[in-house]
Amino acid sequence: MIDGLLILLFFQFLGEVVIRLTGIPLPAPVVGMVLLLIALLLEAPFTQRVAPAAGALIKHISLLIFPLGVGIVLQWHRYEDYALALGVAVVLGTLLSLVVVTLMLKKLLGGKYQETGGKDAR
Amino acid sequence: MLDNLDDLASLVHTPLFGILLTLASYRFALWVYGRSNSLPLFHPFLVASIPVIIVLPLVGVNYEEYREQTSLISFLLGPATVALAWPLYRQLHTVRTVLTPILIATVIGAVIAAAIAVGLAWWLGAPPEVVGSLAPKSITTPIAVEVVKSTGGYVSLAAGAVAITGIVGALAAGPIFRLLKVTDHRIKGFALGLVAHAIGTARAFEYGEKAGAFAGLALGLCGLVTAMALPWIWPWVAQYL
Repeated sequence: MIDGLLILLFFQFLGEVVIRLTGIPLPAPVVGMVLLLIALLLEAPFTQRVAPAAGALIKHISLLIFPLGVGIVLQWHRYEDYALALGVAVVLGTLLSLVVVTLMLKKLLGGKYQETGGKDAR
Repeated sequence: MLDNLDDLASLVHTPLFGILLTLASYRFALWVYGRSNSLPLFHPFLVASIPVIIVLPLVGVNYEEYREQTSLISFLLGPATVALAWPLYRQLHTVRTVLTPILIATVIGAVIAAAIAVGLAWWLGAPPEVVGSLAPKSITTPIAVEVVKSTGGYVSLAAGAVAITGIVGALAAGPIFRLLKVTDHRIKGFALGLVAHAIGTARAFEYGEKAGAFAGLALGLCGLVTAMALPWIWPWVAQYL
């Protein structure tokens, strides 16, 4: 657990260093994530030990997020004028995206990339 | 006596209070979610918010102060984002044979999901900050709350929009797949992960391991592509808002 946390914080810090050196407009944790992914793919020593801490953080991601989300209700005065636009964009936008993305995937994953079978395929 | 009571009341203005309230609400939400057999409508994000929204105004703590109190919890979003590399790494193996169409699908899908949300909000007259908050709504929350800083949006609005997107996506997936006659579990999983991130991924696992793996991959790749692209593209989009 401690090893994993150490690795995560180290790569986030690396992300900060890269951003400060290069000035690219990306979030530091995202750069850290890319660097960790590269390290994992290159089988860098110790990186596999990230698993327990990574698993725990991802499993309880809602705990880390919802304190931000309550702001929608507690600061509703900021958003009430755009309630309709928000509701439509979020709900209808999601339904529309799901339909379009699914249709695109049917095109892309058909033909020569068709599912080869297996128990899971039906 | 009155002095003691005042002393007691000031307890609500400590980080201990904020964190205790947050953790207790989350524990309660996990219990509700378990009892509901993991129904997306009872997702911990929604249920955990309710006690906090009720208690904070009652004890006279405003949202800014609560954010301050719980900054320790928010801090963990950084390492949690870095942690997403792990499932991504694990799932890259399982899809090696279809990697090319998957990568193409990710890029197109990420653009579609963001463009539809931005387009609708803009068309209905939302101001730039609100439109900017919705741009990352299909990507996983820890990345979305980082990315929204580069689109000039509100963090709390982005977090909420992401959660509701996940819930709507997970609820609508079944009927939509039936309507479009989708039987391929890879497509179900990938579409869910791409549009509805972590909540969609949880839903995808109900179709089986394969759907779940594709959803997890889509979640990771879509978050990555959006986070890498949006900060560069946004200044160009923003000038038309």
